[in-house]
Amino acid sequence: MNDHASLVQFSIAIPLVAAFLTMFVKGWGRPAIQIVSVTGFAIPAILALILWGVYSPETAGGYAFVSDMETGLSVIGVSLHLGLNGVALPLFVMAAIVGLAAGLYAAQSNAENLHRYLACLLIMQGGLMGVFASIDVFFFYFFHELALIPTFIMIGVWGGRDRSYAAMKMTIYLTLGAMLSLIGLIAIYVKSGANSFDLITLKAALAEQPLAESVQNYAFGLLLFGFGILVSLWPLHTWAPLGYGAAPSSASMLHAGVLKKFGLYGFVQVAVPLLPDGVAQWENWIVWLALGNVLIVGFIAMAQRDLKQLIGYSSVMHMGYAFLGIAAMSVLGVGGVVLMMVAHGLTVALLFMLATMIHHRTHTFEMEEMGGLAQKAPVLSAFFVCAMMASIGLPGPGLANFWGELSIFLAVYEFNPSLIFAVVAGIVISAIYGLRSIAAVFFGKESDDFLEVQKEHAVVDMGWHERVPALILIITLFFIGFFPKTVTTGINDALKSEAVYSQTAAATPAHDHEH
Amino acid sequence: MNPEVYAFGLLAIPLLSAAIIACCLRRNGAAASGLSVGAAALILATALHIIFRVDYIDFNTPWFEMGPLSLGFGFLVNDLAKMMLFVVAFVGFLVHVFSLGYMKDDVNKARFFGGLSIFMFSMLGLVLSRSLVTLFIFWELVGFSSYMLIGFYLNKPSAAAAAKKAFIVNRVGDFGFLIGIIMIFWTFGTVDLVELKTHFDHHPEAFAVPGLTAMALFLFCGTLGKSGQLPLHVWLPDAMEGPTPVSALIHAATMVAAGIFLLCRTGFMMTVDALQVIAWVGVVTALFAGFTAIAQRDIKKILAYSTVSQLGYMVAGFGFGSIVALNSQGGGHEHMGQAVVTGGVAAAMFHLTTHAFFKALLFLGSGSIIHACHHEQDIFKMGGLSKKMPITFVTFTIATLALTGFPLLAGFFSKDAILAVALQASPLAFYLLVLGAFLTAFYMIRLWGITFFGEPKSDNADHAKENGLVMTVPLILLAVLAVLGGYKGIYMGMFSEVLDGLPHPTSGEHTTILIFSLLAVIAGYVLSIFFYKLGAKDDKLENTVPALHSVLSKKFYFDEAYNFYVAKIQQRVASGLHFAEQLALSGLIIRGLAGVTGLIGIGLRALHVGSIHAYVYWFVGGLALFYAFASGLF
Repeated sequence: MNDHASLVQFSIAIPLVAAFLTMFVKGWGRPAIQIVSVTGFAIPAILALILWGVYSPETAGGYAFVSDMETGLSVIGVSLHLGLNGVALPLFVMAAIVGLAAGLYAAQSNAENLHRYLACLLIMQGGLMGVFASIDVFFFYFFHELALIPTFIMIGVWGGRDRSYAAMKMTIYLTLGAMLSLIGLIAIYVKSGANSFDLITLKAALAEQPLAESVQNYAFGLLLFGFGILVSLWPLHTWAPLGYGAAPSSASMLHAGVLKKFGLYGFVQVAVPLLPDGVAQWENWIVWLALGNVLIVGFIAMAQRDLKQLIGYSSVMHMGYAFLGIAAMSVLGVGGVVLMMVAHGLTVALLFMLATMIHHRTHTFEMEEMGGLAQKAPVLSAFFVCAMMASIGLPGPGLANFWGELSIFLAVYEFNPSLIFAVVAGIVISAIYGLRSIAAVFFGKESDDFLEVQKEHAVVDMGWHERVPALILIITLFFIGFFPKTVTTGINDALKSEAVYSQTAAATPAHDHEH
Repeated sequence: MNPEVYAFGLLAIPLLSAAIIACCLRRNGAAASGLSVGAAALILATALHIIFRVDYIDFNTPWFEMGPLSLGFGFLVNDLAKMMLFVVAFVGFLVHVFSLGYMKDDVNKARFFGGLSIFMFSMLGLVLSRSLVTLFIFWELVGFSSYMLIGFYLNKPSAAAAAKKAFIVNRVGDFGFLIGIIMIFWTFGTVDLVELKTHFDHHPEAFAVPGLTAMALFLFCGTLGKSGQLPLHVWLPDAMEGPTPVSALIHAATMVAAGIFLLCRTGFMMTVDALQVIAWVGVVTALFAGFTAIAQRDIKKILAYSTVSQLGYMVAGFGFGSIVALNSQGGGHEHMGQAVVTGGVAAAMFHLTTHAFFKALLFLGSGSIIHACHHEQDIFKMGGLSKKMPITFVTFTIATLALTGFPLLAGFFSKDAILAVALQASPLAFYLLVLGAFLTAFYMIRLWGITFFGEPKSDNADHAKENGLVMTVPLILLAVLAVLGGYKGIYMGMFSEVLDGLPHPTSGEHTTILIFSLLAVIAGYVLSIFFYKLGAKDDKLENTVPALHSVLSKKFYFDEAYNFYVAKIQQRVASGLHFAEQLALSGLIIRGLAGVTGLIGIGLRALHVGSIHAYVYWFVGGLALFYAFASGLF
């Protein structure tokens, strides 16, 4: 047991308790529900920041804040084993921050049955905190499902256009993805013979006695397509823009920002370290499909007219970078992926939230029916420009995203130099669709439709109730960008302790003269 | 105090100014402009302190580490950076002051001055940067601030389009720049300019590294974008949609010169092959833009093409100068590190500096005219302004003469330095650049004669009055430098590392250069006045040789070609892929693969029914097949 281990447990339990309270306590008015649910989001965020603060790099490599709880499933080697290492911690913090922003925003929404809406969101939050804190693979999976189910409900009940179709399609895809990955994880469990779902035990067992190549081959294949669906690997991504387009904004924020990272996190912490030979076998598949994400989906994003769909596609596109970073199998590449996951989570959550704020003013997501919003809502436009620039990796607001992308680009070049043109082309593609959306929504003249809308709903600029959640995300992005070491030290230590990630130093003739 | 404190100060001043304006002064234009101008003054003072009192800043602190990648945040202030710093701080300050008058009545003044502060922050960071990655970061940030300022007039669709175009075209250049950085990292293990320089000085064999030419040319891609070289020049004339002070500061004097600065910073690792390409791109750009400038009607567009042309001169000067320096080393690469710094860098940076003075002056002068003529920009609707705006007229005339290379003014010396290295490296390039000098004189006198002489050709021009001191004093100060900037003496030895490298042509070469450049300038003046007549009412070229005029005024159809690409190719590919995805990915591939298993009939029925169960089976079946195919079962 570790001094702060209980904080990890609390940050998972508190949202769930708050969800229970908002859902079942009768007779609470709107303010009470709001206070309870916001508390349910705020406490994990505070705890996560405390953990981030006290986490000392010396403990890295291994895990800190470890606790182990008996669950009655010890027969099959399952226990609630919680803890954070250098890779998990930044994601844990990101999940808490995005959750707080999404919760703050959702608590003020005018959704019907607000208490149920918030309860769903709180359950998601509890699951998300659990995903990144689990050392036990079974619970890692369990928490993911815990967060996934409320997502479907939220889309089906509170969703926008095409919600039932989107909910159905998303449910099918994601359930299937989750099932495939579950089979893959079970295969590892069975074949390892360690009789444990504990990641640390599994790693130790497989380091001693690696799985046969054929086993690794099919197990990794299962995980690749399972996680691949969850992370929207091309061509299994079509659920993502559709689902995000239909989902209520807070659900999109949490899913696209955080929950989707489950699959990538699974690659980084579980699939790649446990199945290195499997990766080698499937490497080309990862690369080619990921190029589909960057190039094909990037082009498709250019053709979007719906703002939310555009953000959805851009998010899918960025997942291509993540897969490429993983394929590189180096500390640099995978570290870049972890950093990008954090930055992307914050950015895409911000974008979805701002898109909804735009919708409140224009009453549409069609970009052609907007225009000229910058004159009416300059603060909103400043936030959106900032968020979009972060998304396209412009150093400044997107400095954190830039560090992630730069690391991945460098790793890809080391992995296979000929890929570099296709990959770096992404920075041009994303600039094209990103700037188009800014121009269409904020610049130029107001469209006729927008003028029509304004006759009934006067446009007001962003109020503080909207600025605060957005600022939480932006400040975190800036902080990580300007002080990347607060995150990368832990990531480096954790990844260097994994033998599978190569650490080839760059040929360093430039330092020769010093010797 | 440690010298790096001043460098941090240089960054902190404009950043604070921008932050305060963004947070507190958005609705208080007066306070915002005061703060921003105050910040610019402080920057100038700090910069001058660094230039005069601080010998050299070499500072580095760890910033980002990931695996083998270790990047620092650091400053490298040598004479090259000092020279650029002087240009940025000095022109920046004058433009800030001028803007007080120019933007006096704009309701969005706070946003304008906030943007200028962000620009100053980014530009100073670019100049001070010690590593290629931090340089790239600030490089992107200047692009961003330029984007925001070009699109300043929010409700003008043309401004929004121009801003977007500028950013995207620059990103195309940055695409290459970033690849260059990545290659350099994996080849030399560092992107730190000091470490790279030391490495090249100590290891001449580094020039034999395969791909070094490619690396240099990839870095040059950044210059293509930022400094508007062919074929990425298209954004710069459009960028004139921004407020005129922005054009003067960003799109004439400083940011567009950043590409030249990048070349000079990395000159020590350029190979002869790369330099040949770079130099010739510069020559072609200089001529192309010179021809295009002849047929423009918008005063700012003429000046913009002139800027592109002069940037071409700088690029050519850098390329040829460096080649000459290498050749004087016996063609080998041995011990050439310092030689490059003294060869091309001197010619390019000298012209960059004098050009910053007179081109900023020309833009501010045009701003003064546009302001007085109520935002009229067509030179054929001006005329007769010499009497109405005497200070603007005199300063503009000085700048025109300086730009065209009138003897003993600033441009005369700096352009001759470039001609000198061109003559030594390639006589053909020399004659082409002389032709460019002729073109410069020709289009500038056309602009000057039509704008200032004859009768006013519109009511706006008729009512024009000279502007107040806040706008004319910066003009006068810049005019002084446009006269004196070509004399090395006025720099009091501050930038000696750079300026000592100016070419010393033999007396024979000297005579050739003098004769040809004087002939070109005089021919340009005389032909222009003779052809257009002072104060012409319409474009004589259009009336006499319409075919030529139409090619030139359409700028050799570059925009048409790019628009065709964007609308007819890129957008169609995007829409086609989108359509294909809607159709194929959700419909055909996943379901169709399942269909292959012989379930077509059931499939059609199930599709028809549209039940959720059928959909699940299809999907699972299709995916199983996809998986089987992928894992090599077929």
